[in-house]
Amino acid sequence: MRKLLVAGVAAVMAVGAIALTMPSLTTAQNQAKKAEPDSVVAPRLTAADSSNLKGPKQPIFFRHDIHAGQYKIQCQYCHYTVAASSEPGVPSLQTCMGCHLAIGGADSTHRVEIKKLRDAWKEKRPVEWVRIHTLAKHAHFPHMRHIKSLGPNACATCHGDVARMPQVFKVNNVNNMGFCISCHVERKVNRDCTACHY
Amino acid sequence: MTAMLDHTPKMTHAEVTRDVVATLQTPSRGYYMALFGAIGLFLVGLGTFVMLLKEGLGLAGYNPPIFWSVYITTFVFWVGIGHAGTLISAILFLFRSPWRTAVYRSTEAMTVFAVMTAGLFPIIHIGRQWIFYWLLPYPNQRWLWPNFKSPLIWDVFAISTYLTVSTTFLIVGLVPDIAAVRDKMSGWRKKLYGALSIGWTGADSQWRHYTRGYMYLAALATPLVLSVHSVVSWDFAMSVIPGWHGTIFAPYFVAGAIYSGIGMVMTLVIPLRKVLKIEHLITEYHFDNLSKLTLLTGSILFYAYAMEYFVAWYSGNTFEQTTFWMRAFGPMWWGGWTMIICNGFVSQLLWFKKIRTNLTALFVISIFINIGMWFERFVIINSLGNDFLPYAWGRMNPTWADWGILAGSFGWFGMYFLLFARTFPVVAIQELKEIIPMPRRKGGAH
Amino acid sequence: MPDEMKHEPLDRRRFLKVVGVAGAGTAALTGCSTDKVEKLIPYLVQSADQVPGIPTIYASTCTECAAGCGLHVRTREARAIKLEGNPQHPVNAGTLCARGQASLQGLYNPDRLTGPMGRNGVGKMSEVLWNEAIDQLAAAVKQAGSKVAVVTGTPAGTMSDLIDQWTAAVGGRVIRYQAFDHGPVQLAAKKVFGVDELPHHDFGAAKYIVSFGADFLETWHGPIENQRGFAAAHGFDGKGMAKFVYVGTRMSLTGMNADQWVSAASGSETSLALGLANAVLASRSDAPADAAQLKGMLAAYTVEKVAQDTGLSADVVRTLCAEFAKAAPSLAVAGGIGAQHRGAAELCAAVNVLNYVAGNVGKTVHFGFGMGSGSGYGAMLELERAMNAGEIDAVIFHDTNPLYTLPKSGGFRAALAKVRFRATTSMFWDETAAACDLVLPSLHSLERWDDSRPRAGVHGLVQPVMEPVFKNMAAGDVLLQVARKIGGAAGAAFTAPTYEAHLKGIWAGVAKARGAADFDTFWRGALANGGLYDAAPAPATIKLAAGAGDIKSEKPAFDGEGLLFAPYPSSMYHDGRGANRPWLLENPDPVTRITWQSWIEINPETAREMDIREGEILRLNSPAGSIEASVYVYPGIARDVLAMPLGLGHTEYGRYAQGRGVNALDLLSAKDGQGFLPYLSTRVKAEKTGRFRKVAKTEGNPRELGRGITEAIPLAAAVKGLTIQQAYQAAGKGEHEVNPEREAEAIKGFREGQLEERRYGAYALDNPQWGMVIDLARCTGCSACVTACSAENNIPWVGEEDIFRGRELSWMRIERYFEGGEDGEPIKARVIPMLCQQCDAAPCEPVCPVYAAYHTADGLNGQVYNRCVGTRYCANNCPYKVRYYNWYAYAKRAFVEPLNLQLNPDVTVRARGVMEKCTFCIQRIRGAQNTARLEDRAVADGDVVTACAQACASGAITFGNVKDPASRVVQAAKNPRGYHVLEELNTRPAVTYLARVEYGSEA
Repeated sequence: MRKLLVAGVAAVMAVGAIALTMPSLTTAQNQAKKAEPDSVVAPRLTAADSSNLKGPKQPIFFRHDIHAGQYKIQCQYCHYTVAASSEPGVPSLQTCMGCHLAIGGADSTHRVEIKKLRDAWKEKRPVEWVRIHTLAKHAHFPHMRHIKSLGPNACATCHGDVARMPQVFKVNNVNNMGFCISCHVERKVNRDCTACHY
Repeated sequence: MTAMLDHTPKMTHAEVTRDVVATLQTPSRGYYMALFGAIGLFLVGLGTFVMLLKEGLGLAGYNPPIFWSVYITTFVFWVGIGHAGTLISAILFLFRSPWRTAVYRSTEAMTVFAVMTAGLFPIIHIGRQWIFYWLLPYPNQRWLWPNFKSPLIWDVFAISTYLTVSTTFLIVGLVPDIAAVRDKMSGWRKKLYGALSIGWTGADSQWRHYTRGYMYLAALATPLVLSVHSVVSWDFAMSVIPGWHGTIFAPYFVAGAIYSGIGMVMTLVIPLRKVLKIEHLITEYHFDNLSKLTLLTGSILFYAYAMEYFVAWYSGNTFEQTTFWMRAFGPMWWGGWTMIICNGFVSQLLWFKKIRTNLTALFVISIFINIGMWFERFVIINSLGNDFLPYAWGRMNPTWADWGILAGSFGWFGMYFLLFARTFPVVAIQELKEIIPMPRRKGGAH
Repeated sequence: MPDEMKHEPLDRRRFLKVVGVAGAGTAALTGCSTDKVEKLIPYLVQSADQVPGIPTIYASTCTECAAGCGLHVRTREARAIKLEGNPQHPVNAGTLCARGQASLQGLYNPDRLTGPMGRNGVGKMSEVLWNEAIDQLAAAVKQAGSKVAVVTGTPAGTMSDLIDQWTAAVGGRVIRYQAFDHGPVQLAAKKVFGVDELPHHDFGAAKYIVSFGADFLETWHGPIENQRGFAAAHGFDGKGMAKFVYVGTRMSLTGMNADQWVSAASGSETSLALGLANAVLASRSDAPADAAQLKGMLAAYTVEKVAQDTGLSADVVRTLCAEFAKAAPSLAVAGGIGAQHRGAAELCAAVNVLNYVAGNVGKTVHFGFGMGSGSGYGAMLELERAMNAGEIDAVIFHDTNPLYTLPKSGGFRAALAKVRFRATTSMFWDETAAACDLVLPSLHSLERWDDSRPRAGVHGLVQPVMEPVFKNMAAGDVLLQVARKIGGAAGAAFTAPTYEAHLKGIWAGVAKARGAADFDTFWRGALANGGLYDAAPAPATIKLAAGAGDIKSEKPAFDGEGLLFAPYPSSMYHDGRGANRPWLLENPDPVTRITWQSWIEINPETAREMDIREGEILRLNSPAGSIEASVYVYPGIARDVLAMPLGLGHTEYGRYAQGRGVNALDLLSAKDGQGFLPYLSTRVKAEKTGRFRKVAKTEGNPRELGRGITEAIPLAAAVKGLTIQQAYQAAGKGEHEVNPEREAEAIKGFREGQLEERRYGAYALDNPQWGMVIDLARCTGCSACVTACSAENNIPWVGEEDIFRGRELSWMRIERYFEGGEDGEPIKARVIPMLCQQCDAAPCEPVCPVYAAYHTADGLNGQVYNRCVGTRYCANNCPYKVRYYNWYAYAKRAFVEPLNLQLNPDVTVRARGVMEKCTFCIQRIRGAQNTARLEDRAVADGDVVTACAQACASGAITFGNVKDPASRVVQAAKNPRGYHVLEELNTRPAVTYLARVEYGSEA
């Protein structure tokens, strides 16, 4: 009986200790993260690898981790209407070509993909990207309002850390109303049904 | 006690058991025809429902501003039917009126199946049947709850509660009899009934607990008789619609429910006792009493009808007045008069003992009652047709989809009832025995 | 179970085929719709004027009728989703009629021809290539030489000029023809004033208006402009209002809005007009000097004679004369189909005289606007003759469908058959196309370049707002290419490679004429404004012509015997061109409230005599033919008249129009060589068939049974500023008590309780409170708001079968109630737009079991479509019956491709089994709030305009935040005429109606 008691106390203390140390640990990690981005170098991957990566395979193996991560291109450079409109905007091929007329790619794996882009441009054929986040039609999500209040880099709140994704995948189910509500409750903002449903 | 004796079946306990158990032996061709008829009707209803799911409620005769129609009519009809059972078995049990014993089992069964039938309608009649469960309160990621202010939600609770309690009541009542049947059976049947009788031995201690428990259940069921149909009536009374918006609705509906319930009991039991050859168990005497109950509730109903018209006139409210004028002389006048004649006038025939004891007459009357009570709900819903803005007036115009579901509901109900009558004693063996005097012991005292 | 609402019924692939993905003017589809393939298709090139998710608005010009209203085309992701009026445009000043808005359903009509059709070897029509079609046409024209005839309905503008030049170049003649042309008016203008043009009417300036069968609120001239003027004159402004008298055999929509309907015998109106003129001349000294010469002629028209001619009582005539003579300036109009009998030209002449002697010419009647109706019906008869005589070898039809709009009894069809080659540029397979050898479908006016000159000083531009839905060719380009093919003089005449270039060339000239430094700036400016708008020209000085003196008022001749047959232009279908637009088919006729059908109007008395009930099918026989249709018993029609709407009964013209209803023209005999088609020239024998066909009307009961739904107060009381209550007492009608004292008490307590609740939760916040005011003194019942609502809110149409069951979905409905009309009382009609009242104490909200119907913090009755399970209790419990239910998957059924391209992406397309209703265009409210928020400001008054308010030409609807004391809606609501429908129910509606003002005995 006494043995048990001792064990119990010990256990409780152990748990307590962990609980106490936890926060400090996580903050440490965070600091590590914060320090990191400057030293991001996207891994070298070929289109072949894309099938082993999370998320749907895209017609062109576009690397968010290279563009947004390694070269730190702002999301809004390509998703140009996100701060002005309910729709974030998908970059036109012209936007892509703006850089890729000049930039042919550092290594073979890149060149292959960039060639696909240039061919599409030549043939005046749009690239049909596979859609990842699709909101049901009966819900209206004004991107601009969220960018306005959460700041220009709030994308990750819903879309995850795209800057680290060689291939974008769905981090949160944006069609899950609970996902929206919990955030609105947490931030004490509008919970009126007709804020989104009309 | 004498008063009681002269209607008790002149037979021994053994005979009672024998005769009742006899009802469970291979049934007649008539029974099978009835059963298959019921199943056929049910399939018709099922087919119609599938069409509704596929095409939409447009198939049914909804003509705005009448947004409810035959389905809600039939829903209320069946809930009403479901009231006689509990009344007879619970309330009369508490009042110790022994004449109930012969009929209460079948009425309880009827109650349970009627409520089962009614329970289907809220699902059938909503537009997106596949999300009917949104009407139930359950924790969900949307952080949403149903609206407890809505009479429809009260319905959900009223009906489910009533179904639970009446089912329990039926089953508990059955246990000793199943045991009795078990003892008369052999082979797999014996096993089956053995399982269902949950180890009933008829030991003293069991009886002691049983009777107490049964009484508590009766006490629990009694208020439901009043509450459930009051709640159903509020589906209408809580609205602003002239012809619905009435304080009289709750008592009016409860009376109507019991009235229609007993009507259905007669419709079912009069043929049943013939088919199952238990005329000597369920006698004129029982129907005489049922008739008196019918007469009482029927008269209350008649009064309620009169009062509705009076209030409409007395209120000076043009909307109410128009509605009731339309009810009597509008395009749907036939509905209004069917209800008043079948319920108001026909029930008054029961003042005469000759009629009360003439089963053929009673059967006919009971049919009238069923029709009349269905039409009562039909007429009430038709009040929607001419409400506040004349421009938006309309008229109900039922279609095959309405009749299909209506027929289906009767099939569904009949199916269960017939199967029950085949499988379980429709007359309460034990209670019947209770009211039969104990047989004299032979031989001298010890 | 599939939830249709998750997916807009729009297939992206199809959409791409339609708008294309390359080139400017096409847009990215970033999330604008969700489809099964889940693809994101980007631009190739980003066009500067398209931001996905934000509407781009282009200015253009409406081509649905000759009025030439200015458009603001709202496009989303490069597809036109809504048409609204251009506020800068002088003709329509920002509003648009139902027909104009339904132009979108012409653009996206599923029955549009996808390419040119020509006769193949075996003489059957089949698709041909464009270059083949052009070659065929060129060859035919070349061969025909000078024997070419071009029949065009195109109103004045560059295209119309091009047709002239082109025809001149290739040799041949141009015939301008459009149904309902203003032949009589033009003839009369020539006769009385010696000018060959149409007058322009300023209703706004008139103090007294008399219309002799001119339906100026439906189709006559520019209805929108007329309606705006009429509202200005007749809408009560607190001081007074003009009086409007309608003279005609049938109370049309225009007649419904009259203070007095005078049912003069058809053909006798001339006498009445001259009688009025006589009275004016007798009682007034300010008549123009040269009016004296008319004295002789007019003197004959004494009150007694007029009374005798018209069959009106002498008192009525006398009062009319007195009133008309008293008022100045007044306005008399004529020339509508409502009085287009064989004496119509004389009638119009008489009206001209009337206006002249009353000194209205120059005040309310203006000449010098350069408005001409073209050659018209007379020219068609001439063409018919020429075709019979073999003087025509090739006919080209453009913007006109004569084989439908001309009576069958005429010989046009037969004559046309004699012509060797027939071609049309119709977008649809219409009656004329069916009789042609070559069809070169033109582009819709939202897909091409053009301009229009409805009148001097207005030069509207038409610009393409999107890639063509079907890759067809604008008629202008066809003409140019054909000219080039023909070569020679014709080829040389036109240097411009495309019609666009040609148009720009013309405008370059305009720019130079106006001394514009740089054309591009000028052009871009014009495009942005939708054209050039100069001040109205100085009215020409008008003197009486020689002919003014001899105007005869003898009764015109009528063919056949029996009841007079009065076909009239439907305000929805116009001359029949609207019959393939579901929005118009389901928008109930403003007078009878009937949809999707043809009907015969008959006076109750006559119906009783003939023992006919509504819905009974009558056969009408005339010398020219016979037709059958259901009867609608209508108290607003003379006893000896049967009326019937025009525009239905197409034999071709697509799935919506074909075989729907009957064509009233089949009864007309067209045997006379006047300059106009006498619509009122036939008598018919009505014959009972004993068969019935339900009338598809959206109305339950035409009487409001004294329920005070459409309140009206006498002018005198209104001027005194009395409330409805006071007005009733003043009129000695006793207490018109909405709530007795005890109820009032209860309501007060209830109100307090509500305010108490307002102090909790979201309601406590500083939210706006949306409200609306509808002025019944201005509303004419034209139903433009109904179409606007459907267009804005993706409201599907349900079709005739479901209308029979009263299942219409239109969130905005115009309720029309009749007053009087029995035992000698004059029949009056009152209209009230009924939409969701957004009640504060809404009966619909508490009964919803799932909170799909609930009260939003900003005072709306929110309806969450995706939460709705469809118990329909809310609809039962709504006293205003403004909740509508999707009994079937109506949206899926209605929005077939490419109609679904019109859907507004900001509004959920409702699925089957869901309740839907008006929420004050909540998508516009939320949009305005989003914009305001981005600009860190509050939503200002006028930021949110509901679709109905936007469309209303009478300006009857005011919308805004009732918490803002400065807002227009609050000001409007202060009006003593204000009331709430069914106030006694204490639902506390957010919609305040202002009682209609009526001329009582005192006026």
